[in-house]
Amino acid sequence: MRSVLGMCTVLLLALSWAGAAQERGITPEEVVIGTSMPLSGPAAYWGAVGRGMEAYARYLNDQGGIHGRRLRVVLRDDGYLPPRAVANVRELVERVGVFAIVGLIGTANAFAVRDYIVRNEVVWISPTADASIWYGFRQKKYLFVTYPSYVEEAKILVDYAAKQMQAKTIAVFYQNDLYGQKGLVGAKQGAMRSRVRIVAQIPYEVTQTDVSSEAVKLRESRAEAVLLYATPRHGALIVREMAKIGYTPKLLSSFTLGDPIMFTLAGEAWNGVVSTGFFPLPGTGDGRVDEALATLTRIDPTLRANPYNALAGWAFMEPFVEGLRRAGRDLTKERFVAAMEGLRNWDGQVIRGVTFGPDRRQGINRLFLTRAEGGRYVRLTDWISYPVGF
Amino acid sequence: MATDPTVLEDLAPVIAFLQYVMNGLAAGSLYALVALGIVLLYRCSRVLNFAHGELATLGVFLAFSGLSRGWPYPLALATGLAGAAVVSGALYWILVRPVRQGTALGVLITTLGCALFLSGLVVWAWGTDTKVFPFPLSETRVFRLGGVVVSELTAGSLAVALALVAGLSFVVQKTILGLAMRAVAQNPTAAQLLGVPTGRVLAATWAVAGALGAAAGMLLAPAVLLDPFMMLDPFLKGFAAAVLGGLESLPGAVVGGVVLGVAESLFAGYVSIKYKATLSFVVIVGVLLVRPEGVLGRPFHRRV
Repeated sequence: MRSVLGMCTVLLLALSWAGAAQERGITPEEVVIGTSMPLSGPAAYWGAVGRGMEAYARYLNDQGGIHGRRLRVVLRDDGYLPPRAVANVRELVERVGVFAIVGLIGTANAFAVRDYIVRNEVVWISPTADASIWYGFRQKKYLFVTYPSYVEEAKILVDYAAKQMQAKTIAVFYQNDLYGQKGLVGAKQGAMRSRVRIVAQIPYEVTQTDVSSEAVKLRESRAEAVLLYATPRHGALIVREMAKIGYTPKLLSSFTLGDPIMFTLAGEAWNGVVSTGFFPLPGTGDGRVDEALATLTRIDPTLRANPYNALAGWAFMEPFVEGLRRAGRDLTKERFVAAMEGLRNWDGQVIRGVTFGPDRRQGINRLFLTRAEGGRYVRLTDWISYPVGF
Repeated sequence: MATDPTVLEDLAPVIAFLQYVMNGLAAGSLYALVALGIVLLYRCSRVLNFAHGELATLGVFLAFSGLSRGWPYPLALATGLAGAAVVSGALYWILVRPVRQGTALGVLITTLGCALFLSGLVVWAWGTDTKVFPFPLSETRVFRLGGVVVSELTAGSLAVALALVAGLSFVVQKTILGLAMRAVAQNPTAAQLLGVPTGRVLAATWAVAGALGAAAGMLLAPAVLLDPFMMLDPFLKGFAAAVLGGLESLPGAVVGGVVLGVAESLFAGYVSIKYKATLSFVVIVGVLLVRPEGVLGRPFHRRV
């Protein structure tokens, strides 16, 4: 028995060695990329990012792909649960054999798969996770981050609340996982810097449907401003619930709620919310972004219901595709990394100002503020930069 | 309702308390509706239906489809209720009935499978986007009783929930179908020997339970927004409420739902908001340890 096992191991090792000689996930005809995201469960709304990625890949493939290679996107559903994300990524790497992971939604999920991806030297572009989980983390050779940091974002929002909105007290309504907790950390740091007080920290669980007691708690805190780190649904619910019980603080929210759907879900109550953006929002006068959205909805009309996340899917893919273009016809992992490291203040159609380098893996370190006015978002400031962390 | 602001200021803690109770009642009435469906099925067919929440969601989405086609409210909502009833009845007739001859675990797994299937069906047909469910009662128009805020929708939900509970107890206590249900619940073999069409009675029971669930879903959807997974949490809460009240007792389900709703809200308000979601699980474990038959259930007697 033992000798059979031993032989199997040797055989497996030999096979994996043979596989390593040829780059995983690349053939002359196609490049395979994988991602894991919530397509079911309480955060399934964000799954539109995956459909946006697929539509973008179709758009590129219709034009002949990149250097003759078609892009194949393999989506896996994790229901927003970190253990399932781990299983998905292992399957994507070991069975499907993807060249790269692009995106991967959820800070907690990305955190759960981080060690596995890094240890197996898988190329990972634009993890959809708070960028601060990479601060001080070594072995980032194959990692390229274009997603902002919730910590830095919350600091900027709290600054704005203190200086422009003259708020002295702030409450934070946050999702009780790594996403919301990072927002809370940033809010605390921002409060220290701007000399405002955090008077309430109200968490909710992503599976929860009723947030009425949370709204009463927030009202009891009498905070002048409330900062939201939530899913669009919970963001809409808490804002409606607060308005219902006659509590109307100034509102600030993460860019994850900078979605036009909020006007439908939260109604009138959403007007006045200050949020951020890391790519130009559709319908705010940026022709190239509007054009990208038109392309996506032409390919997949269901994305019309979710334009913001569809565009986010495009934005996460774009730097990867540029890397493929620059790496040329003889694509290898090393060439790809070298190509990505050559991006300097590179503008895609949706994502802008991406810079990587041999020692730089945080591609974007800036945001702009927006305000919800009359059912649409208006850009409030120019880009606000924060220090590059890694 | 004339109120002096300074008086309101002094009464703030009282008002907050009453608001927590009110919110708890609103949530609890919906838990009660979900629990009623679960208990109704368990009493009659000894099946814990894990697809109960998904059946409800399907009903709500059917109603939503009608509404988006411009159907009037009564028609669309009735279609949703009828749809959930038919699917629930069919589920029993086609899947559960044959499996019931096997083990209890087999039935449980069957309903779990149905839950996954129905949930996939809803995602496939309607997508995962969060939707606004139009409803005749508004969530934002409110009544103020002293300082306590009650939305039109909350008040309506409470009223409808009460009416449904009353209606159900009428059906169970006063009608032939109810008599048959009780007979089947008490002793299926004897009922069958006496000429009660057990299978059809059970299918009807499942249909009623499905419609009850859908009603709960329709009252919930306008308040918490519509998506394919919106019943996950209310189903768990309804389940906890059913265990609390007693899986055998219909009044227990109502009491369990309301008590759980209010307890949860007060727990969030005065103990810990972070562990609010955990409370219902603590309740399940606690009840099963201390009084497994539930608050209003009859103690189990095993006869040889």
